[in-house]
Amino acid sequence: MAQLLEQFINGLVLGGIYALIAVGYTMVYGIIQLINFAHGEIFMFGAYLALMLIAVFNIPFWIAVPASMLLCAMLGMLIDLVAYRPLRDAPRLSALITAIGISLVLQNLARMIWSARPRQFPTETLPAFLVSEVNIQTGEILNAIPLPGGGILPYRDVCILLLAVVLMIALNRLIHLTKIGKAMRACAQNRVASNLMGIKTNQVIAVTFAIGSALGAVAGIMVGLSENITPTMGYYKGVAAFAAAVLGGIGNITGAMLGGIIIGLAEVLGAGYISSGYRLAIAYIIMIAVIVIRPSGLFGKSTANRA
Amino acid sequence: MRNWLTGLLIIGLVSIFGCEQQKELKVAVAAPYTGGAAAFGEMIRRGAELKEKEINEAGGINGMKLTLLFEDDAGKGSEASLVAERIANNPQIVAVVGHFNSDCSLAGQEIYDRAGIVELSPGSTAVEVCEGSPWTFRNLYHDGFQGKFIAHYIDNVLMDIESVAVFFDNDAYGRGLRNAFVAEAEKIGLTLVASEAYERDSTNFKAQLTSIKAKNPDAIFISGLYTEASLIVKQGREAGITAQFFGADGVDSPDFLTIAGSAAEGVYLTTPFTFGAGGAEAQQMAANFEALHGVAPDTWAALTYDAVGMIAEALEKTYNTEAPIADNRKAIREHLASLDTPEEGYEGITGLTYFDIKGDTVNKPAYVKIVKDGQFVAAEKQLSELK
Repeated sequence: MAQLLEQFINGLVLGGIYALIAVGYTMVYGIIQLINFAHGEIFMFGAYLALMLIAVFNIPFWIAVPASMLLCAMLGMLIDLVAYRPLRDAPRLSALITAIGISLVLQNLARMIWSARPRQFPTETLPAFLVSEVNIQTGEILNAIPLPGGGILPYRDVCILLLAVVLMIALNRLIHLTKIGKAMRACAQNRVASNLMGIKTNQVIAVTFAIGSALGAVAGIMVGLSENITPTMGYYKGVAAFAAAVLGGIGNITGAMLGGIIIGLAEVLGAGYISSGYRLAIAYIIMIAVIVIRPSGLFGKSTANRA
Repeated sequence: MRNWLTGLLIIGLVSIFGCEQQKELKVAVAAPYTGGAAAFGEMIRRGAELKEKEINEAGGINGMKLTLLFEDDAGKGSEASLVAERIANNPQIVAVVGHFNSDCSLAGQEIYDRAGIVELSPGSTAVEVCEGSPWTFRNLYHDGFQGKFIAHYIDNVLMDIESVAVFFDNDAYGRGLRNAFVAEAEKIGLTLVASEAYERDSTNFKAQLTSIKAKNPDAIFISGLYTEASLIVKQGREAGITAQFFGADGVDSPDFLTIAGSAAEGVYLTTPFTFGAGGAEAQQMAANFEALHGVAPDTWAALTYDAVGMIAEALEKTYNTEAPIADNRKAIREHLASLDTPEEGYEGITGLTYFDIKGDTVNKPAYVKIVKDGQFVAAEKQLSELK
């Protein structure tokens, strides 16, 4: 039972990260029907840029996080400007291939700048409470909450979960309560008509890219806190997050959040209780099963509407 | 105009014949220069480069220049087959030093076997690597021995450990080593409480670690490579695991220390060679290596240095400039196969290397290292003989 609780929290933390990335895929798809394959690379740049700000420019962690979000938002808008905007009225396939191209360019750019060697945030530069470690002799655990039954919950995981929830609520409010959110919803319904009504669609799309990229950057930093930062990290996490977006119904933001949590839980519980050799496979089987039963995903609009 | 053309022709002919006199002998060094095992590849390249430089500065091989071609298999079997095809089809390459990962050596094996070219691995330890082909050799122990050794070390030296868990990479190396370890551990009375797998390039191990923690083992044996092992140790300590971590030669890379940081402290691992155990020649090599590359050599640099030396010795004794390439490739195999007794063996910096009928090196011992103050040091107690 104690183990189940701990695995459940592991799954929620991973799911929260997937959800943050998945939102970026789904928002862009909702507005311009483009699967932005470069989004995984923006996630990776988020981690690297924060690392650079901290390790090279000695900027404190709490400033480096928003700074990296801002830089990634700009990177997302730049990609939209140079790569996708010229293809706005081209066949969808052209934009999709361009997205794959941008993804490869960014991945290899990262390899050129930072090399393929895995990197980590230097422990001493992080706020102390984000680094949990056990004392091998005494078994005493620093910076973590003991769970009933012997499990532990590191403060860092609590922070990741809280931050993910806060960002999700903020995004939800932004879309439903602000003017730009209203414009985004309008563009998602009908871009041409929105334009006729005086909405500057290119600006709305740029803002969409900026928000998605900033959330991706946060996720990249969270992953970098306990895993390695490598040029290919965006590929692995990106594929899982994309699966989450599809599972939730691509184009639907609430669906992407929930899809992320489901994929994260499935991956962790599958590895913990079914077979550890197939952890991603189990998550994908669930995704496929949902798609077979509901082709438009959990929260997706039926496809007839779209066509 | 015509004079000018004739002049060019003469210059061309002279340069061709000029090259002919400075004949090159090409040997491929296949290893993971990119990807998750790239730190191994980097040391392999440096070790090979040092030997190449020393051979050529001493006048080459019978006056011919040794040229190494570095081929990247990225540590993946699928890449290794492509690399092996390219090497086998290049009529200038006489032999292969490599591959490093067992998966890669196995993937290349079939192709090298068909083409009749020697594959001498300085790093693949999966048992089956030397079983499939007479063209495959290695100059270090195999995992049948290593797995057994680790079980005995835990049982005889780390006395207070009674229960163990295994966390293994789901590839030829990880599975083979786990099997050898588990078989012996159960035979000598250690209790196996958990056996969990992970895929190469995984970065999140919390699910498996939580399962292992619930079984409360005294020690966790990681059967895999340094990139994943360092994260396993780090995330394990974060998750509150206090068990003793034990690794094998796949963990033996300076990068393990940099990624795992303070979590690496106290981790034990086995390795086929340490400079501390080497003689004067090994110390000399270490000094030359540091002068050339600016860093200290590791185990894999030393084993590759010796593997290149063995191929060079074979070329020196057998290479015939008149013979076709297939005969020269074959002569190298015949020479290596003839090194089958301690008297015939090759004396390198990592000790004496000679082969059994399969191409395995069975005489080399295993050493145990421990991480202390962020450095690998020889463990206080070594185990010289297996009961």
